[in-house]
Amino acid sequence: MAALPRRIIKETQRLMQEPVPGISAVPDDSNARYFHVIVTGPEDSPFEGGLFKLELFLPEDYPMSAPKVRFITKIYHPNIDRLGRICLDILKDKWSPALQIRTVLLSIQALLSAPNPDDPLANDVAELWKVNESEAIRNAKEWTRKYAMDN
Amino acid sequence: MLQLLSSKKHIIENILRIYIKTSGNTLCIDIDPKYDIRQIKNIVAPKIGLEPDELKVIFAGKELADNIVIEDCDLGEQSILHVVKVKEKVPKKINDYGMKPLCEILDDSMFSPISESRNNSISVEANDVAHILNNDTDANITSNQQVLVKKIHFYVYCPTCKGLKQGKLRVRCNFCKSGAFTVHSDPQNWTHVLENKQITGTCENDTQFCEDILQNREPTFAEFYFKCSEHISLGENDQAVPLYLIRPNLKQIQCLACLDISYDAVFVFPCQNDHVMCLDCFKQYCMSKLTERQFWQHPEYGYTLACPNGCADSFIKEIHHFRLLDDQNYDRYHRFATEEFVLQSGGLLCPQPGCGMGILADTDCKRITCQGCKYVFCRLCLQGYHIGECGPIENDDLNNQSTSCESELSCNNGNNGEIASRTTIKIMTKPCPSCKTPTERDGGCMHMICTRAGCKFHWCWVCQTEWTTECMGDHWFG
Repeated sequence: MAALPRRIIKETQRLMQEPVPGISAVPDDSNARYFHVIVTGPEDSPFEGGLFKLELFLPEDYPMSAPKVRFITKIYHPNIDRLGRICLDILKDKWSPALQIRTVLLSIQALLSAPNPDDPLANDVAELWKVNESEAIRNAKEWTRKYAMDN
Repeated sequence: MLQLLSSKKHIIENILRIYIKTSGNTLCIDIDPKYDIRQIKNIVAPKIGLEPDELKVIFAGKELADNIVIEDCDLGEQSILHVVKVKEKVPKKINDYGMKPLCEILDDSMFSPISESRNNSISVEANDVAHILNNDTDANITSNQQVLVKKIHFYVYCPTCKGLKQGKLRVRCNFCKSGAFTVHSDPQNWTHVLENKQITGTCENDTQFCEDILQNREPTFAEFYFKCSEHISLGENDQAVPLYLIRPNLKQIQCLACLDISYDAVFVFPCQNDHVMCLDCFKQYCMSKLTERQFWQHPEYGYTLACPNGCADSFIKEIHHFRLLDDQNYDRYHRFATEEFVLQSGGLLCPQPGCGMGILADTDCKRITCQGCKYVFCRLCLQGYHIGECGPIENDDLNNQSTSCESELSCNNGNNGEIASRTTIKIMTKPCPSCKTPTERDGGCMHMICTRAGCKFHWCWVCQTEWTTECMGDHWFG
């Protein structure tokens, strides 16, 4: 495997030295391109109090292509499907090499505060979010308690 | 005298062969780079029957003063100096712009990434460097690298050397193209150099010729052009393309991709923020955009890219910058550009594996014959030509092609791979209803957006037509 680009080393160092509040990202011991991520559910959102595990992988041509990010913890959210895949423009066509791991994770945290049922990935969740928002929020809280609060 | 001269030649340690162009004559002389202009005049004058004081030596838009030394003039082997006869025998006045060579007057800061740096002194720049270094804990920079060399660097694509080289700025008459031309003022920025008719001057080529012809219409303008500084000049037509977005990194700006500060040249995107990438990252950026087919076919500039930060109006206008790609990728760039051009002109590409020839046919003609491989296919479904509606994919169609392929293209072992790829593409993909690009759906909803940068058509995976609110209501997720 090729040497780790300086950019990845720099980003990792900064993530360690100046962590983003509410977010931890730690590189795997055996693969410096694979990060174990924990995002805390934002205040005043149905995810408040939850700790959400994600995995983040920097592909070979990072930063020319976007990091691959996926929720491991089950989450009830219209833009995250049951496999944990995230519908977020900056992870797809709006990716720019000027964005970083920290900006991506901050965007994901912001997505938890502001679900967007008009651009969904999980159909039933999105539909309920549009038709009956209070029930959807109740579900989201329930899932947070059930899957994101143990350990 | 002749003997004396020739014996003197042997004493010259570094011989520089240059050409002297006078009105009607070209002389070839060998000189020492340490000669000054006065010595050149002394050598040339007797050969053309004039007194040294009657001569003017012009190089790169400047009349050179007698005390200028050749080696300070950025003059390469087999360069051309223009020698003209002075019009009136008045004692020369030294005016402040005319007597120093162009390369001594211009400095890098005029052309550096941040436009306001022209007003900054060198100390301000040094402070900036220190500031960046303090923030960059792991930067290991020797004091030598901090010394900012104030020498103008132009970068060019040289068609002779086939690569990125340092360039030399030259000047000629915009009207008659003669190099015997002196500018009235020095260029101050890239606009003056790249755009036509920015700086006026005097054409010394033919007495009054250019001025007379242009009289009452416009003044005589200078035309700037570039030569490669790394090979011996092949004459006046040996030019290079200025890659003006590649500039010295005077302000020590961080590369937006690798976050390093390059001490060599960097690529400066033509956006308001002057975003900077080091050349290695720029090449990678081009290659990954090329692989994803995300270059944009711009009606004016061609197949190009914009600033990766999505800044407005930031397309790269001079597509020779993509010459930074290696040969293989540059060929690919060319091929993709041509394909995109054909598609945007309403043409299509032959679907036969290994062919892909661009075809421009009448839009109402459904039966298309490829002139390259003679494959006959249906314009609508890109399958073998058929009568009636386009049907589902037939497997025997594949078999037919394998025989025709063998006979017409004499394919051998590679054929099996091609057929296998083709089968996979047929099974895994659906064509974009607008541009027919085979598209794979690897998850998510049924709302497809064509991945081809020039298309971006919104379509429905189920209906294979344009995406509508009905699709959203009925089968958004299948």
